[in-house]
Amino acid sequence: MTKVTLNVNGETRTASVPPEMTLLRLLREEFGLTGAKLGCDVGDCGACTVIVDGKTVNSCLMLAPQADGRDVLTVEGLATMERLHPIQKAFEEKGSLQCGFCGPGVIMSAKALLDENPDPSVLEIRDALAGNLCRCTGYSKMIEAIQDVARGDNRQPVGESA
Amino acid sequence: MRAFDVFTAKDSRHAVALLAEHAATSKVKVLAGGTDLLADLKFASASHAPDVVVDISRIEDLRSIAVTGDGLSIGALVTHTEIMRSPLIRDMFPAMVNAAHTIGAVQTRNLGTLGGNLVTAVPSVDSGPTLVALDALVTVLGPAGRRQMPLAEFFVGPRKTALKPDELLLEILIPTTSLGKPTCFLKFGLRKGQALALVNVAASFWVDRARNAFVAPRIALGAVAPKVVHASTAEAYLEGRAIAPEAMVEAGRLAVGDAKPISDFRASAEYRRDLVAVLTRRALEGAYELAKAKQSEK
Repeated sequence: MTKVTLNVNGETRTASVPPEMTLLRLLREEFGLTGAKLGCDVGDCGACTVIVDGKTVNSCLMLAPQADGRDVLTVEGLATMERLHPIQKAFEEKGSLQCGFCGPGVIMSAKALLDENPDPSVLEIRDALAGNLCRCTGYSKMIEAIQDVARGDNRQPVGESA
Repeated sequence: MRAFDVFTAKDSRHAVALLAEHAATSKVKVLAGGTDLLADLKFASASHAPDVVVDISRIEDLRSIAVTGDGLSIGALVTHTEIMRSPLIRDMFPAMVNAAHTIGAVQTRNLGTLGGNLVTAVPSVDSGPTLVALDALVTVLGPAGRRQMPLAEFFVGPRKTALKPDELLLEILIPTTSLGKPTCFLKFGLRKGQALALVNVAASFWVDRARNAFVAPRIALGAVAPKVVHASTAEAYLEGRAIAPEAMVEAGRLAVGDAKPISDFRASAEYRRDLVAVLTRRALEGAYELAKAKQSEK
C-alpha cells in the first residue's frame, strides 16, 4: 500500500492505496467523490476529467500515487450549497445535458478552458471539448452555454443565492 | 488492473538503476505520462502485465526545451501541451506544434509526453514524421552510459524500439543543421478529434535561393510501413532540383513507391497510397510556403 496526500477541492486528503489504483478510483471509492465518472477507462471519453495543478487530465489514466502532493479540482469543488458555478448555471439554463453522465467532465474541461482563455472562439471551445464524448444531446448547447459564461450572461452578483 | 509495484525515480540515473535492478527478474514498464501505458495495462493479459512499474513522471531534468551547442534539445517528459505552448518551438518548428495538436485531446496532451509517444512507437505515431524529417537524434541512458542514434533507427517496428530493457529515453535532439528548417506536417484521420492517422507525412527542405532549388529535402511517412520511414526515392529525386509544382507532384508519386501500407479496418492499402501522394505534395507545398514566409521576414 502507498500513502498519498493531496489537496482535493481545497481540502487536504490522505489515503492508503494499492499502487495500481487510479486517481479516478481514489476519488470515487476512497473519498466518495462520485462526480467524475468511470466511462471508457482508457482515456477516450473524458467522463473522468478532473483538473490537476490547473490542467485537465483523464483521472482514469493517472495513478493515485502520481497525484500525491498535487492540487485536484473535481466538479464537487465548483458549486456551493447556496449556488451553482456559472458554468453549471449556464448548462442548466441552456439544457446542455440530458442524461448528464458526461456533464462533470465537460464542465471541468470548460472550466480549465475559461480559466486560461476567458473569451474563446467556437473553434477553441470545440477543441477544448474534443476529449469529452456526449451521446445524448450533442455539443451545440454546451458550446452555447460556454459562450454565455464567456460573455458574462450568467455572472451573478457575489453573495446572491441561486 | 492487475497489481504491480511502483518505484518512483528521483532522476534519470535513479530510473536506470531501478530498471537495471528489476529488468533481469521482472517484467518492467516505464510510466511517463501514462496515457498509453495505463490504457494498455487495463487490458493486458497475465503474460504481458508488468510486475514492476518505474514512475519517471516526477523527474525534473527531463522536462526542458532548450537550444544547446548540439541543436534543439527536448526532454523526453515534455508534454504535447508544452510543445504547443513553447515559444521556441512555435517559432522554429510550427510543424511540431501542428503535430502535437493532432494527438488525442486536451486531457491526453496535458499528460502525454513526447518521449512516451516515441517509445510506444505505433506506426502512426504523430510526433514521428516531423522529427524524422528533421533528422532528429535520440539520447538514451543505460547502465553503461549514454548513447545516441537517429530517431529513424530508434524506431524498429510496430511498438518496437531500439531501447533495451534497462535503458531510458532522455531527450530528442534536432541537430543544429536542421534548426529553423522549413517543415510541414500533415495528418489525415477520419475525424478531427482524437483520430489515429490513416497517413501522416512531414516534408522539410532548405531552399537554395540563387537557383530556387531543393536542398536536403526530407519526406517522412507515417502509418504506411511498420515504422516511420523516409520516402528515399522522392528525396533523391528532389535533391538539387528546381522548386516547381510539377516536381512536388512527382515527389508525391514517387513517395507512394516508398510506402508499404497495409489494409486494415481504418483504410485500404490502396486508399493509403493515394493519401501518400496527395499529402506528400501538400506537405512540400506547405514547407515551401513557410520557406517563402521566412525569407520575406528577413
